[in-house]
Parts: sequence; C-alpha cells; structure tokens
Amino acid sequence: MNLFDLVAGVVLLLTGFLAVQSKNAVHAALSLAANFIVMGTVFMRLEARFLGWIEIIVYAGAIMVLFIFVIMLLYDAKADLGVDPLPWLRLWAPGVAALLFLGLAWAFFGFKAPLDMATAKAALFGGTAHALGPVLWRDWLYAVLLVAALLLVATVAAVALVKPEGGEER
Amino acid sequence: MTYVYYLLLSALLFALGAYGAMRRRSVLLLLMSVELMLNAANLGLITFARAWGSLAAQGAALLVVALAAAEVAVGLALVVAVFRVRESTTVDDLSELKG
Repeated sequence: MNLFDLVAGVVLLLTGFLAVQSKNAVHAALSLAANFIVMGTVFMRLEARFLGWIEIIVYAGAIMVLFIFVIMLLYDAKADLGVDPLPWLRLWAPGVAALLFLGLAWAFFGFKAPLDMATAKAALFGGTAHALGPVLWRDWLYAVLLVAALLLVATVAAVALVKPEGGEER
Repeated sequence: MTYVYYLLLSALLFALGAYGAMRRRSVLLLLMSVELMLNAANLGLITFARAWGSLAAQGAALLVVALAAAEVAVGLALVVAVFRVRESTTVDDLSELKG
C-alpha cells in the first residue's frame, strides 16, 4: 500500500461517482473515460501490463469515444427526461447499492492470499502479451474463438441495425 | 493489505455502477453504468490473478473487455435505430413490445 494506491483509489471513486451522478451526459462520459485511464494504470500496478494497455486503448480510446459520438449525434446530453414512472426505484437505489457493497465487502474482507507477494509476482511474468499469449491461444482457445465470432456478429448487427430500410426512399 | 484494498475498491465501484443502473433513465447513461460494473468486475479478476499468481484470470478479464465492446456496439446501434423512430433515448418510452 503506497501513495499510488491511495491516489488511484480516490480518483477512481470520484470519477465513478461523477459518471453515475452527473446531470450532463457528456460530463458523465468524460469522467468515465478518466476512470478507465486510471483503471489501466491500476492494472499495470497489479502486474497486468497488457490488460492495462488494452483498457486504455479499447475502453478509454474506443468505447467511450463511441459513446461521446452517439451523444453528440443525437444531441442527447440531458440525463433527466420526461416523467419518472418508477419514483420509488430512485429512492431505493442508494440503499440497494449500499447493501450490494456490504455483501461484497463481507465476502472480500477475510481474503487471505494463498501465495506471498513475491512468488505470485514472479509467476505472472509482468502480465505482458508474451506471457498472456500462450494462455489465450492454448488453454482458452475456444473461448477466444467464440468471443471473436460474437464480436464479428455484433459488428455486422450494428451495421445492419442502423442501415436504412431497403428500397424505401429516405 | 493491498489485495483487500483493491477488492473493496472493486466492490465500491460495482455498487456505484449498480446505483447508476437503477437511477438512470437514459439508455446511454444506463449503458455507461453497466460499463462501470464490468470494469469493477475486471478489477476484481486482476486482483485475484495477482494474489494467486495465475494468468487465467487475466485471460478472463480480456474476454470481458471483448464482450463489453460487442455489447456497446449493439447497444449504441439499437439506441440510434430507436431514436430515429421515437425521437427519444429514455428507456420508459421503449414500451412498444409491452405485453
């Protein structure tokens, strides 16, 4: 536990809170992007260097920019719209979220690491692409292929969904 | 201990995301809350990978990232397609298929 852990934790919680609480969707998207960048550095600290970069490139770079594009495209920056048909859900949300956190914290609190930190660190080889590649392409090969097929189908579906109806004049 | 600190951080971020998913009514902001929850789960996976010295959890976290990308691609395409018809991104307006 050092200064980096503390600062990263505070920034993660602050940007996460802004992302769920901000009245303006653009502000929420930007603070979520900041959250993902800090999360990438935390991954690198936890010996997952490849995933840290993936987090920054895919999440902060691609996914959040896609969100911002769509917000801009639809001029839909307002968070509160129309009448609320479920007002009680708004009142209950903090309590349910707090209960969820308490349950998870109760499960995590007694966690004892099975290895000492130096042994575990040596076993991860820094979590680089060189270390992660054999795991993904040998042990997890079918899962990777299935996810790749899913991603391809999702891309085709995304294009097909926003394509104008065939034959109709627009 | 650093492990418990990061696990608690991941639990807090997950609860924040759940709070946002319950409170938000715009589809875009709902999807963002779901992204926050997925990311919190990833932080948990990476912390456990660090504790056990096993790369398997890091592989699982990579699959979660790919799934999140697929979810966002389809989700945002649906938002844009629905917006053309309904001129709205509120989830409550999308009750066309209600039984």
